[in-house]
Amino acid sequence: MSTIDRSTDLLMDGHGGGHHDEPYLSSKGSWLANVLNWAVTVDHKKIGVMYLFAVLFMFFLGGVAALALRLELLEPPRVIEGADGARRIVGQLFGADPEDVAAGNNIYNRLFSLHGIIMTFMFIVPSIPASLGNFFLPLMLGAKDVAFPRLNLLSWYIYVFGSIFGVLAIIMGGVDTGWTFYTPYSTTTDADHMRVFLIVFAAFILGFSSILTGLNFIVTVHKLRAPGMGWFDMPLFIWALYATSIIQVLATPVIGIAMMLLMLERVLHIGIFDPGMGGDPLLFQHFFWFYSHPVVYVMILPGMGIISELLAVHARKHIFGYRAIAFSSIGIAGVSFIVWGHHMFTALGELAAMLFSAMTFLVAIPTAIKVFNWIATLYKGSIVVNTPMLYALAFLFLFSIGGLTGLPLGALATDLHLHDSYFVVAHFHYVMMGGTVIAFIGGIHHWWPKMFGRMYNEKAGILGCVIVFVGFNITFFTQFILGTQGMPRRYADYVDEFQTMHVISTVGSWLIGLGFLIHLVNFIHSLLLGPKAPPNPWGGLTLEWEAESPPLEHNFHSEPLVKHGPYDFEKVVPPHCSEEDFPLPRAHGAPDPKSLTSFNG
Amino acid sequence: MMTSAISAMQAGMGAAATATPVQPLNLYHGIDGVTGRPATAFEELFFRSGGATDAAQAVDGLYMLIFWYSAAFFVLLMFLMVYWVIKYRRRPGVPAPVSPSHNTLLEIVWTVVPSSALLVIFFLGFWNYIDRQVAHGDAYELAIKAKKWSWTPVYHNGASTQWFLPTDETVDPVTGDVTKTIVDSPVIVVPEDSNIRLTMSSTDVIHSFWIPDLRIKGDVFPNRYTGYTFRTPKLEPGQPYQDHWVFCAEYCGDQHGAMAAVLRVMPSADFDQTVSGWSGALTGDKVAQVQGCFTCHSVDGTNMAGPTWLGLYGSSGTFDNAPPIDFKDENYIRESILNPNAKLVSGRAGMTSYDGLLSEAELDALVFYIRGLSDAGQKVNEELEAGGDGGEASDAETGDGESDEASGTEAAGDDAPSDAGDGESDEPADENG
Repeated sequence: MSTIDRSTDLLMDGHGGGHHDEPYLSSKGSWLANVLNWAVTVDHKKIGVMYLFAVLFMFFLGGVAALALRLELLEPPRVIEGADGARRIVGQLFGADPEDVAAGNNIYNRLFSLHGIIMTFMFIVPSIPASLGNFFLPLMLGAKDVAFPRLNLLSWYIYVFGSIFGVLAIIMGGVDTGWTFYTPYSTTTDADHMRVFLIVFAAFILGFSSILTGLNFIVTVHKLRAPGMGWFDMPLFIWALYATSIIQVLATPVIGIAMMLLMLERVLHIGIFDPGMGGDPLLFQHFFWFYSHPVVYVMILPGMGIISELLAVHARKHIFGYRAIAFSSIGIAGVSFIVWGHHMFTALGELAAMLFSAMTFLVAIPTAIKVFNWIATLYKGSIVVNTPMLYALAFLFLFSIGGLTGLPLGALATDLHLHDSYFVVAHFHYVMMGGTVIAFIGGIHHWWPKMFGRMYNEKAGILGCVIVFVGFNITFFTQFILGTQGMPRRYADYVDEFQTMHVISTVGSWLIGLGFLIHLVNFIHSLLLGPKAPPNPWGGLTLEWEAESPPLEHNFHSEPLVKHGPYDFEKVVPPHCSEEDFPLPRAHGAPDPKSLTSFNG
Repeated sequence: MMTSAISAMQAGMGAAATATPVQPLNLYHGIDGVTGRPATAFEELFFRSGGATDAAQAVDGLYMLIFWYSAAFFVLLMFLMVYWVIKYRRRPGVPAPVSPSHNTLLEIVWTVVPSSALLVIFFLGFWNYIDRQVAHGDAYELAIKAKKWSWTPVYHNGASTQWFLPTDETVDPVTGDVTKTIVDSPVIVVPEDSNIRLTMSSTDVIHSFWIPDLRIKGDVFPNRYTGYTFRTPKLEPGQPYQDHWVFCAEYCGDQHGAMAAVLRVMPSADFDQTVSGWSGALTGDKVAQVQGCFTCHSVDGTNMAGPTWLGLYGSSGTFDNAPPIDFKDENYIRESILNPNAKLVSGRAGMTSYDGLLSEAELDALVFYIRGLSDAGQKVNEELEAGGDGGEASDAETGDGESDEASGTEAAGDDAPSDAGDGESDEPADENG
């Protein structure tokens, strides 16, 4: 198949001409023609850009829900007379009677469910792979497109279709199941409504989008690497996407089945999970976490891939331990399938708990290795602290905390205390937001000039990054302490002794909001008024920097030939760059040949 | 102390049938060092007060071990990161010095060292965990029934909770902190310094019984018994009792955040006396408290998840799935308890059935109690009294009437504890079937 693809590619190259030599963003005539062109495009770049704006919109929706629920938690509204202040505001936003405590709790429950469902299923799972991955995987491989461009368009429309179902359920009043849909609560709540069915159906549909993207990426990596690019010449972002895709293809069907069974039970009353009908509620948790634990790595692995790129390029340094990082991605993907039970320590028997605890510690090892390699990459680099680099450093800080706080959750004795507390909430926000989202935002800044052909304002970017970083720590570090002190998660209401920490946490959430607002304004400003971007503003060595900014419709003028590794900053002057700006060590004396022999790990 | 609307109403209805009134909240604030190890400064930051028992303190110890291990790693990594970013910052025109991109020995070291540390943490965590999974032969068996949204303990003699801490403010005598208790948290009493084995089950969705001061929790399922063993703390010398929060840790719906209980540790003699004094006493408001009715129904007109009981009897109503009625009578109330979805009040989500959870006597007490909360119902009571029929009368005297009724049920079932006990064991069996 690849042979056929390549021959066609070559033919087209031979013909040249046409609109294939124009930037992919160039106008196709009338307004309608442009819309149509984007709607039926099979260009991975356009699909990636559409995904980017869609997931950012979902991030905005989920973020608004997060701000609203943090606002609700400003004060404990337990006493009916105290149902004023923040809770009254949140209640009025959603049209509830402010005196009605139950209605207030109900709004809170719908808010955190909405936040969780949007952020996991519609934002973070597709975020990096479907947007930046779609855009840059073929570019970094030197290919013209993914292996199955039409399938790529299909997965985009499946994503849109699924998200519409999800948003519909939210507009109709939302659900109060939490994003985990634990039975029998999820099969019995809101029995008179279709909303739970709709949102579960949305998750079911979204799964197919994820599977198809994963399948596409795997085949693309195997078949469409540019001539001269061996497996260990691939950028680490590609390795990460490859590992991610394996998990997506293998694990997502399980959540599809679990969601299907949940729908059968809700609609047709087939007793699978509900003990009232002869089912087993714990079975659902097994199904759910068999997908949802590996999917945690679908969320974080692409982020790790981005960090490898950002650190290498902006420190102008060969990544330390290339092979170790590449293999640890695959290792994490493998181990991720056998640790799901650690979400259920308080429900499992001793033997299962022991085995899952041991497996969980296994997954910590490749993760730790990655962090060590990243830090070691900085050693003797030429480090520029711009927005992408600052985000990479913020990632190392936040992700390390997120990873290390996984230890007391993996250890059985401490988990019995911390399970389902705010400690868990803080832990996964440090990993998912401090890890994936921070890497994603850093990656968007890094590749923004390439994607849109315009530079963003560096000072505004740095300011936004600092505010997000500070706000994030204020919001979530307090939640570690809330958790150890005994605050359970998903409480609309709490005893007074937790209030101070909740207030600090809420104030932090406003800072995060402010930081993202600065980024948003910066991006819009860049699109409208930003200075034109050169093809390779950072001096990157991976193939996407050989393309124009923005890339041509068919990516490259001619099929690139790979002659150097992706991180050989000591040997190669980056494409489109002068040696004056990017001097090689050689200029100041011959390099020690020993240090160069093992440039690929 | 009983200042809230609910409590005032209960007092007015003569709920004080319990021999001993509930003492105010006396939350645990750590140990003084006489009976155990006081918390270190860092433990106080994380845990507010050190674990209340040896087992809990062992958990704190493990947590702090992991914390210091992690902190050391984190500080080292962040120091290197910041130091190198500053030291190797980019200078225009100056190339990066050539440096190795790979070092096998270093990579082996930083794989093996953390791995061994992880192995140690795993074993310590497992050791402490398995230690707490062992059921002790001498453990006191305490059954816990979970329901949306209440915890109901069942003691060895079949007695259930008789004490509830009302919505109130308690000033801590030591710290001066003002603590507000959650709406009507049931008080679960346990003897000090003894092993307790929990046998837990749920009648609806999954809950989780978390005692933060003891650093332990366990999920409660609707289709099986789960449980764990814990040792209760020793009381400080001269301390009459000690309270610990119990929270529901598994999300269970609207009032999840209010599904709290107070675990009250008492001297063994007090515990025996208290629990034996509880067997059999039965009044409508107690039944309602035990069954957790007040988490959704108010008796002062406040609109909660369920309709208020104030003025319910004798009122008219419209339903989603039944023709309207213009006088809600005793049979309506009974049906609403046993088969709530037969007549679903317009605009309400409905309730789970209490069929099988209440004895006939409890059901009667509850229905008559709700009846007494409306003018129409009180008129019935007055007429009954005028007719010389005995029973309930005006507000002030209702207490007598109800305690009469209570003594009646007591007489009917002097062995009520064992009845209740049977009931408890039957009911999960049904569910399993």
